[in-house]
Amino acid sequence: MADDKDVLRDVWFGRIPTCFTLNQDEITEREAEPFYLLLPRVSYLTLVTDKVKKHFHKVIRQEDLEEMWFEYEGTPLKWHYPIGVLFDLHASNTALPWSIIVHFKNFPEQDLLHCPSNSVIEAHFMSSIKEADALKHKGQVVNEMQRKDHKQLWMGLQNDKFDQFWAMNRKLMEYPTEEGGFRYIPFRIYQTMSDRPFIQKLFRPLSPDGHAHTLGDLLKEMFPAAIPQDDEQKYQVIIHGIEPMLETPVQWLSEHLSHPDNFLHICVIPATND
Amino acid sequence: MQYNCFNWSNDPNRRRINTLGTETKQQKHLFHILQKTILFGTQAMERWKSHVRAELFQRDCQQKEPFSGLIKSYSRLLEKCELHECFWDEKQGSRFVESPETLQLQLLLKEGEQVREKLAQRVTDLMSSLYLKEAELQYCHSQVSRYHKEALSLARSAGALQSSLLDCEFALESQSKELAALQAEQGARGAELTAARREVEHLLERWMEEKREEAERVNEHNSTQERWHRFTSQLAKHCRRGGQQQRGEPEQLTWTPPDTPATCEETTEPL
Repeated sequence: MADDKDVLRDVWFGRIPTCFTLNQDEITEREAEPFYLLLPRVSYLTLVTDKVKKHFHKVIRQEDLEEMWFEYEGTPLKWHYPIGVLFDLHASNTALPWSIIVHFKNFPEQDLLHCPSNSVIEAHFMSSIKEADALKHKGQVVNEMQRKDHKQLWMGLQNDKFDQFWAMNRKLMEYPTEEGGFRYIPFRIYQTMSDRPFIQKLFRPLSPDGHAHTLGDLLKEMFPAAIPQDDEQKYQVIIHGIEPMLETPVQWLSEHLSHPDNFLHICVIPATND
Repeated sequence: MQYNCFNWSNDPNRRRINTLGTETKQQKHLFHILQKTILFGTQAMERWKSHVRAELFQRDCQQKEPFSGLIKSYSRLLEKCELHECFWDEKQGSRFVESPETLQLQLLLKEGEQVREKLAQRVTDLMSSLYLKEAELQYCHSQVSRYHKEALSLARSAGALQSSLLDCEFALESQSKELAALQAEQGARGAELTAARREVEHLLERWMEEKREEAERVNEHNSTQERWHRFTSQLAKHCRRGGQQQRGEPEQLTWTPPDTPATCEETTEPL
């Protein structure tokens, strides 16, 4: 069990070195230096980029300041996806630090949601937790929590406090021993090759005969092409920057490799030759 | 590549991994140890779990550790620069001219204040962390007590099952003995039955022989009787004829031999 807690810690403290560069089209009073930051994989872009905003605000004229948004190689980055998911999906096989372009104008209304304040991120985060708990425990656990407990989850994420977050989140990860797992596994499968944002369906952790379903079983049902055939791997299946073995039980993955929003975010990207 | 369990987070070497963006000898050595542990078996932990742990470690080695120190130093320097800028902005707006030593001391004081604030924040964080740990400890205690109760109840059921198993074993043993005794008895009875059957066959043969001999005897007796009857009837006829001849009238037969089988004709006749 202690070993499993280490996994939780490693997941929580996963970081991506990032270099923020101001878009060249932005009008500045003087040259904008790039800004470097270690981004927490489990957090959201707009939640951890206050310093970036402050840094670039110094060089941009006040009248040109609009809502900040980010782009990577022409793709606007969705702030409502966890940072780790954005990196794994768009930049997992590129050199580090991750180079993100910062924009302050021409907000892509078609691609991104507005994020005027942290309360919007909080609302999105809490609604994801409630959705996940509806799948896992019919929403009973999150409904039994008090407002301060919800706040503790949010503050834990906002202030990057592992202990504070997990003191409450462990309740969301419990299940009756006799049931052997959650009701359904909250998961989302992301892919760059499709216009569909992600795949999310009902999937039980155990088969009708009581065997534990694995990541391979999940992919076989949701995304069969992701399973290597004849030793030929067409896709990489990435969770938190790693490729778990296909025989890993989904219940364990859900308990240990879920993001703070309690969803298991799985990225499927085309395999590279190296 | 397969990996085995290795408690990296508790390993002090992990915290000392360099921050220069390259894999050092120490890192290579650690990874080598990690690989070696895999070769010595995966009994302690499931393969998929050790794989996840090793991959997470490798991910941090590649993505986090090489940049962590650099970016932290960069952030500290940025903060310091910001403090200096603020300080000089303040001083440039001031009407008083101060000596460079005083300015230096004031700057040091500002830096000291910033450090103090950070330390105060750290103490607050540590205090809240302590409370959380206490709460976690309580939770762990409650879990221990829950599992203890579960273990006790399981032990009780195991004891009951054990005793019922012993009872069953005893019953099975006695029934096996009984079965063996019955099988031995059945064997003895079977042998007796075979002997009895042989005797019956023998007696039947003897009886048939007796019957055959008796039939022969009866047939012989019957033929003797027939002959005797024939002779007696011939004698009687002869006697009657002789007497009639003497008296000149016919005479009735008045004697029947005692062993002659009775016939209807003879019994109806008067003696």
